[in-house]
Amino acid sequence: MKALCLSDVSRSFGGLPAVDGLTLTAPAGRVTGLIGPNGAGKTTVVNLITGLLKVGRGRITVGERDVTEASASALARAGVARTFQNIRLIADATVLENVVAGFHRHETTGVLSNLFGLPSSFAERRRLEEKAGALLERFGMTAFAAHPAGSLSYGHQRRIEMMRALAMDPSVLLLDEPVAGMNDSEAHSLAEIFRDVAGQGVAILLIEHNMRFVMSLCTHIYVLASGRLISDGDPEEVGRDPKVIEAYLGS
Amino acid sequence: MLMQQLLNGIVVGSVYGVFALGFTLIFGVNHIMNMAHGTIFMWGAFAGLFVVLTFDAPFLAAVLAGAIGGGLLAVVLDFFAFRPLRKRNAPEFSSIVSSIGASFILLSLAQQVTATRVLRFPFETFPVVILNFMGLRIQLLQLVIVGIVVVMVFGLLFYLYRTSYGRQIRSVAFSESTSKLLGINPMAVNFQVFFISGALAGIAGVLIGIVFNSVHFMMGEPLLLRAFVVIILGGLGSIPGALIAGLLIGIVQTLSVAYLSAGMADAIVFSLLFLVLLFRPTGLLGGATSVARVTRS
Amino acid sequence: MKFFLSYIPLFELALFNMLLAFSQYVVLRAGVFSLGTAAFAALGAYTSAILATKLGMSPWIGMAASLVLGAIAGALVAIPLARLRGVFQALATLALVQIMLSITLNWVDVTEGALGINGIPRSVGLFGMFCAVVVVGYFLAVIGASSIGRAFDVIREDETVAVSLGISVPKYHLIAFILSGSIAGFAGGLHAFSSYSITPNEYGFHMLVMVLAMVVLGGRVSVWGPVVGAAILTVLPELLRGFQEYRMVMQGAVLMFAIVFLPRGIVDTAKNIWRARRVAASEAAKTKAVTV
Repeated sequence: MKALCLSDVSRSFGGLPAVDGLTLTAPAGRVTGLIGPNGAGKTTVVNLITGLLKVGRGRITVGERDVTEASASALARAGVARTFQNIRLIADATVLENVVAGFHRHETTGVLSNLFGLPSSFAERRRLEEKAGALLERFGMTAFAAHPAGSLSYGHQRRIEMMRALAMDPSVLLLDEPVAGMNDSEAHSLAEIFRDVAGQGVAILLIEHNMRFVMSLCTHIYVLASGRLISDGDPEEVGRDPKVIEAYLGS
Repeated sequence: MLMQQLLNGIVVGSVYGVFALGFTLIFGVNHIMNMAHGTIFMWGAFAGLFVVLTFDAPFLAAVLAGAIGGGLLAVVLDFFAFRPLRKRNAPEFSSIVSSIGASFILLSLAQQVTATRVLRFPFETFPVVILNFMGLRIQLLQLVIVGIVVVMVFGLLFYLYRTSYGRQIRSVAFSESTSKLLGINPMAVNFQVFFISGALAGIAGVLIGIVFNSVHFMMGEPLLLRAFVVIILGGLGSIPGALIAGLLIGIVQTLSVAYLSAGMADAIVFSLLFLVLLFRPTGLLGGATSVARVTRS
Repeated sequence: MKFFLSYIPLFELALFNMLLAFSQYVVLRAGVFSLGTAAFAALGAYTSAILATKLGMSPWIGMAASLVLGAIAGALVAIPLARLRGVFQALATLALVQIMLSITLNWVDVTEGALGINGIPRSVGLFGMFCAVVVVGYFLAVIGASSIGRAFDVIREDETVAVSLGISVPKYHLIAFILSGSIAGFAGGLHAFSSYSITPNEYGFHMLVMVLAMVVLGGRVSVWGPVVGAAILTVLPELLRGFQEYRMVMQGAVLMFAIVFLPRGIVDTAKNIWRARRVAASEAAKTKAVTV
């Protein structure tokens, strides 16, 4: 059970602050929301947490561990998984292969046994494909296992990304606009899965544009505008906050 | 003796600088490593030689022919090797591969045309006139070359920073999609960039052909490799960097040939490339933008 | 039989090219833009030739030394290059080929300079070459199906995704470089022991272009890609013998054509089409079952 904490995190590009003094906690077992109008700096926050961008000032911790300076791949190995706003799959590979790629941090076979094709290497491949198969079933995608990922619809591709992130068995999961472009019933079924995943003790940070979806799912919501935190609280508090209404409607 | 070698190094180095300038221009605007730049240089030298041999043209006409020949060839190259890839938004490796293919075609065609011979500019193209200055023997040709280089560099800077065409080029280099929104036609910009780059290479080809008194199909390859060293040492996309690094490489090269051996000179220059990549991959003058371009995120 | 015998040199050349193509393939599969295969092959060839002619060592020792030195060279190159973006890896490895060429041309005491090393005992024949290709190909297929191959594929397609899945890019680039260096070194050793003599210029720009063309044409994902590419580009010039002078023009044109019109190469394109067909067929079978 690990929480994700940001304290006073800032980052600027060429003198312009993109994220300014952000303090935020995503506790384990909850879905925490991060919302804000376009250009508020939400995706920058994701890139800062996942180590794709260097933090200018402040501290990021996962559980007890300070990960402010950690490289992106070290962070992923420490259990921080993410999805991408603009879906990034290996289009030519099958759905199953895409999901299996997510297990990378749990692979135990050493380099040498992989190099020489020892039985452990083949056994591991079978084991991972079975585990990936179980995930496909949970997302209702078993029928598509052998399809090239790039040939599927937008909603299906989003699910593949989600499965790949869950395959990492993360302690922190960052979802960057996971229901963008989905209809209500698709979004609803994903919401069920998010609650379920959070219920297993994962800290989920949900970055979304769709207010209604966030309100229905999150226990605590942070609102970002122009890189600054303008409000936070439970969905009702945030929904009433005049500053939030102004940020969304004023622009 | 040392001063004399330094002088020779500066002359050769300034031509390296001009050659590298064309290379770095394409990289800065289109993010393409044009591996065929050396063959454009070589064909530029052939164009200059051709007008001299056929029409008895004077020196400056040869330089002009090299510029036009190199420029047009670069535009054709862009059309066949890079434009289809740009349309498809292909990864940058594709343009390296396709320009290596193009350079191989241009190289072997030149080999066929010249039957693998080394050709020379006739002696009268630029008669040897030697000036004595403070004990140094300076050839008039060397002065003229440095003069041409200076004119070209200032011409390029003027074009890029003081004309509306130059503004368009810099705008596309900064962001192609934004430029399109501003109504800039990327086709026209690419045409200019490739023509200028090829023209610089062609002029360098004619000058090197006359200085070393030899024009042959393999002359571009060592120059391209040296251009890599120059642009990495100078920092990518940096015009002053290319010039300073060009001079530096020219001097290092000339001194090692004079005091060690020609073979060692190559090994030293290319080892320099490795050392720079190892210890300062952004080059001597590279800023923050080149950090992002050279190293991995 | 006589017909077959007259083609033995061609078959040997094709097998040698396949080994070189394997070396180029393994780096490209991992998303490394290395063009260093020719340099590693030169290192291997000269190691074997020098051990055989100057020290009279057995071919087995020579080839083992070529392989090990190739692997070491690959590792040494990988360390500085892992930090650099793709195009700079290409530049640096291109320079590496040039450095190797300067060394073999100018270190006359050891390499005999431009004349090359002659009088190497011929101890590898067609069968030996064939075995080497099968072993290396099988080895690469096994690696490709393992966790290493999976990591290579993700890195090549999307480095950001690879990193976000916890894949350490420098580690896998190091593995790819070591594999590429050892395969090319081994190929160079075999070549030295099968051709009596080696010269520096065999391992220059021409080899670099040819090997690159083979992999780009054949494909970079399936291990059959380099095999098919090498076979085509070795046999094609023989069929076009009347146009001998234009053989290099043709190789350059193939390279350009392949990257522009067939960016995934023959084998991988064919594989994707076949896979799409199979999915469509099973889909059709399902709908049929439902309607019946």
